[in-house]
Amino acid sequence: MTVDLDKYAKPGKSYYIALGLEGSANKLGVGIIKHKLGQLSDSNRAEVLANIRDTYVSPPGEGFLPRDTARHHRNWVVRLIKKALSVAGVKGTDLDCICFTQGPGMGAPLQSVVIAARTLSQLWNLPLVGVNHCVGHIEMGREITRSENPVVLYVSGGNTQVIAYSKQRYRIFGETLDIAVGNCLDRFARTLRIPNDPAPGYNIEQMAKKGKHYVPLPYTVKGMDLSMSGILANIESLAADMFSSKGGKKAVDEETGELITPEDLCFSLQETLFSMLVEITERALAHVQSNQVLIVGGVGSNERLQEMMGLMVRDRKNGSVYSTDERFCIDNGIMIAHAGLLGYRMGQITPLDNTVCTQRFRTDEVFVEWRDD
Amino acid sequence: MTDRLVDEAKLLLRNVSFQIVSQGAEALVFKTNIHPYFNDDQDESSYIIKYRPRKPYRHPKIDKSITKSRTIGEVKFMFKLAKAGIRAPRVVSTDYFNGIIWMEHIGYSLPDGKESTLKNWLWYLEKVRGESLSEEVQRICVEVGYLIGDLHLNDMIHGDLTSSNIMLDKKGPALIDFGLSSYSALPEDKAVDLYVLERAMNSTHADYASEYNSWLLKGYEKAHSDGHYSKQANKSFVEIIKRLEDVRLRGRKRSMIG
Repeated sequence: MTVDLDKYAKPGKSYYIALGLEGSANKLGVGIIKHKLGQLSDSNRAEVLANIRDTYVSPPGEGFLPRDTARHHRNWVVRLIKKALSVAGVKGTDLDCICFTQGPGMGAPLQSVVIAARTLSQLWNLPLVGVNHCVGHIEMGREITRSENPVVLYVSGGNTQVIAYSKQRYRIFGETLDIAVGNCLDRFARTLRIPNDPAPGYNIEQMAKKGKHYVPLPYTVKGMDLSMSGILANIESLAADMFSSKGGKKAVDEETGELITPEDLCFSLQETLFSMLVEITERALAHVQSNQVLIVGGVGSNERLQEMMGLMVRDRKNGSVYSTDERFCIDNGIMIAHAGLLGYRMGQITPLDNTVCTQRFRTDEVFVEWRDD
Repeated sequence: MTDRLVDEAKLLLRNVSFQIVSQGAEALVFKTNIHPYFNDDQDESSYIIKYRPRKPYRHPKIDKSITKSRTIGEVKFMFKLAKAGIRAPRVVSTDYFNGIIWMEHIGYSLPDGKESTLKNWLWYLEKVRGESLSEEVQRICVEVGYLIGDLHLNDMIHGDLTSSNIMLDKKGPALIDFGLSSYSALPEDKAVDLYVLERAMNSTHADYASEYNSWLLKGYEKAHSDGHYSKQANKSFVEIIKRLEDVRLRGRKRSMIG
């Protein structure tokens, strides 16, 4: 890597500080990051000054609606920013830039956060940097794990993509053809009325640990892409039979004859979905002849997924899996600050007129100027 | 490739000596001189064994059903190819429970020691002999295109057409590796199949891709106009090419702006 990251450094200042605002779904995150001059390396790592998050939790059986989520973000954004600044011990005027999520995500929450970003920018006279949410996840994962050039599995409530870097773009090798894996888990949690606190996916993971019997479900990998809507419909109908008061046909395990429990369903759903994810990741690894995997996104904090990925990688020479914990896996402000700051250091500034956010913003549209390997 | 997978294969293929040809994401490919059930010392022909190893990350039940259904799917596809007279390795034997397909070996060793896939052959000509656009290359590309045309006229889709999935020998080109194959009569699916090949040619043979691709399409057209098939074949060719132009424009991955 020979990109000069310090072309736009302020004279006399030996570091950069950026504030990141994230609000593309039900998490509102504010992060403050510090980069010292020079290339990021093992000895010159990005420093997390503050990473604060507040999650909008909807009642069991319900998802988060854009309107309510946007209201939550509007109510909390000022408090979170103030708290982040005091945790980090910096003033608004110490910052170099304000980074915000420009997309992809839900429209209403994105818009309420971008308004906060624009206000701060004009208040403190700082440039704005629009950040692609997916690129934020990838860059933060790379920085935390210090993995060099991994194949990235990005799995969250709204996205499921297998990504590999090539010629200054993060290219999508495989992705979901319909719903995202987190969405599939969340909606199943709603069917089973599993609480949304702290996260539906986390609660499914805990229930799945108690599951014993595997219920056959469709397995739909199409080349490097996958499809999950059919699996959801299938398992929802199984769950509906289970809770039907009419005493309809209840599913039993074929071998033992025992009744299938909700825990078994959670277990089966996880096993099926994660097998598919690991398979397409393995295909991408073989395709680009890499042996490193980085898992990012909310579902990436699932320990079973990490374990399965480890088992897959063990059969490849010198393979390794990198993953982060919930602080960096689940949507957060610090990743937006980090990716935004990388863009800022290359002079990628978003003029106020162009700060309109978009629900659809593909990972491969971003010009990754800060890498040239 | 880790030794564990090879050890597993050795356990399943006891008394069979083999050399490793390649490891993909899903399967290992071996070469052997041993026929699975004839015992003929005079037999000099070689065979390919394709082995789908157990995936330790998958639940055993999922693993079993996937290995079985994919192996059967591939064997059936190869059988249908044989019936339709489309050149591909013939199946010799299959053990779908363990994910093993034993098939005829097509191809020879190129002067540089590599297997005679279209890719290796073209690379050999490009690098060693510097005669990439000879009449022989044109003839082979047209033949490959003809073969793919035949495949599509039978409503069969390869799913992973690349220059390394086409083998060459004295009798002409043959298709291999049907792990992603499917059946479809839709121009869309056929056009995507062609587009995948076009992209693969562009990335592996960048310097001469436009010539190669035009020859491939010429052969593909020839298969449709040859009169082996119904008179609709010509019409469907026009439809597929029209669709191919659409597919090229949108790419396989549609952009989701706006």
